Amino acid sequence: MRGFARAWSVFLTFARNSLIRDMTFRANFLIELVSSSAWVFMNLGFYLLIFHYTPSIGVGTGWGKWEFFAFAGTGLIINSLTSMFFMTNGDEFGEMIRTGTLDFALLKPIDTQFLVSLQRVEWSSAGNLVVGIVLVLVATSRLAGAIGPGQVILYLAFVLCGVVILYSLLFSFAATSIWLGRNTSLLDFWFYIVSFSRYPMEIYQGRLGRPIRWFFSFVVPVLVAVNVPARELVRPLYPRLASDWLFTLSAPVAAAASFAVCRWIFARALRSYRSASS
Amino acid sequence: MKCAIETSNLAKYYRVYSKKEGLVPSLVGLFRREYREVHAVRGIDVRVEPGEFVAFLGPNGAGKTTTLKLLSGIITPTSGSASVLGYTPWKRENAYRRRFALVMGQKNQLWWDLPAAESFRLHQQIYDIPEASFRQTMAELAGMMEVEPLLHRPVRELSLGERMRMELIAALLHSPEVLFLDEPTIGLDVTAQFTIHRFLRHYQQTRGTTILLTSHYMKDVDALCRRVIVIAGGRLIYDGSLPGLVERFGGYKIISVLFSDGEVPPDLERFGQIVSREPPRMRLRVDRQVVTATLRELLARYAADDVSVEDPPLEEVVSALFSSAEERSRETAVTLTRA
Repeated sequence: MRGFARAWSVFLTFARNSLIRDMTFRANFLIELVSSSAWVFMNLGFYLLIFHYTPSIGVGTGWGKWEFFAFAGTGLIINSLTSMFFMTNGDEFGEMIRTGTLDFALLKPIDTQFLVSLQRVEWSSAGNLVVGIVLVLVATSRLAGAIGPGQVILYLAFVLCGVVILYSLLFSFAATSIWLGRNTSLLDFWFYIVSFSRYPMEIYQGRLGRPIRWFFSFVVPVLVAVNVPARELVRPLYPRLASDWLFTLSAPVAAAASFAVCRWIFARALRSYRSASS
Repeated sequence: MKCAIETSNLAKYYRVYSKKEGLVPSLVGLFRREYREVHAVRGIDVRVEPGEFVAFLGPNGAGKTTTLKLLSGIITPTSGSASVLGYTPWKRENAYRRRFALVMGQKNQLWWDLPAAESFRLHQQIYDIPEASFRQTMAELAGMMEVEPLLHRPVRELSLGERMRMELIAALLHSPEVLFLDEPTIGLDVTAQFTIHRFLRHYQQTRGTTILLTSHYMKDVDALCRRVIVIAGGRLIYDGSLPGLVERFGGYKIISVLFSDGEVPPDLERFGQIVSREPPRMRLRVDRQVVTATLRELLARYAADDVSVEDPPLEEVVSALFSSAEERSRETAVTLTRA
């Protein structure tokens, strides 16, 4: 328990120091905030355009306009949480390996993965987080069914699972920099893979879609990350079948498994660390 | 008493890709690579007692920093063993990491855009230092280093010397029992070096910390360390006192004579190499074995007001030692392998 309290206070200091730093370079902070929100609004405009032509994505999938916007909002929440807490750190981790400053993290009497995963908080991503939350609130208010407190708790828990899945994938990739010396493209690769999670999994149909759906559900479970919480909230095709329960359960299982794999890769990578130059 | 640091046959080999120059060889290198095995540390045995202040000397690439990194647990060795305070460093146990510190003159760990005080606060939390003792230690260290007014200025605005002092404070907040210093005075001016010397000497004497220091400045070593370990080509070639080092590897002495008649006699070359001739004083470099014979003859032949015999400058001895050690190791340091 004491260890947990210490980790929490270290995290708060990281968050606080990052904020002080962001405020020092205020103009840069505002530009980041505006440019990332602009990108989100352009995407939302594009989705609106699609629903101008069709009432739902795919026939009989249940993903109508507001269901889909709840989904997009959920995706935005998960992605902005990941980029707020982990994306800069994943990037920074590669740099620490290349320049050898990972040395200092290895000296500290605290879990190294914890330390390098959370040392910066990207406060400008909070803008998109707010947009995501507003989007989910607006979309669910337009939908017929009432949402109970149990549903909200489950939703939040599944959002957390989604963040854990994306984080694990990111740091599994980032850790490979230890062996490769430099690994800038794998972070791009992470981004490409995560972009598969932006749409409801029903769109992956047919001879091409099914293998994609299978791969990104069971091997690299990014599809689970957004689909499970979004469904919990808007439940297209309610009432659910037995297989839906199995699907819901897949979120915590996938989160735990990805995190375990990530820890394993990270620990192995640290053993091979060579520490650049003097 | 138990050793603070003990290593046995400690070795670290790296396999590095030997890149060729030019575009075509680079493209060939995509498919077929040649690797070189670099033997950074090749079997080092060292024992350091608690409270010792030991200098690690050696030319660039001798394996000093690699040894410190092994002892800090940053990297794992290829073979051999080491124990610091009873721990195996590369197991990276938190219990061990609470009890030592490493300062590197070439890398900094403080947050660049924030005042040093913020980084210190973070260390307090990571090392779980109680508030009262944290305040006391920080005030004490900042006082000794004369940096109190700078604690709340962003690190990027500090000079190199000020930053280095902050790095030292950060490393010492948790009162480590073993301290590794890797070139802590690199690039600093004489005043800043002196401040750090004075601080380290005082700190070590009052706390009895075991310190291992690497440096290229003989001034550091001369001012701080009784014991010197020289490594070259990844091997230990000397372990003993500093005067002992000069005795063993400085093969000559400097005889300085002040002649009574105001003139320096000619034909003195036959006694040895003339270092300087500033009448009425003359300095002569003489082989260690013939110092007494030379003195006897000089004094029998000429009238002198003053005579002194000195050891050669430390820098010269060390540089001669390094270059001979490097030559010896060059033949065996690298082996080529193919993959």
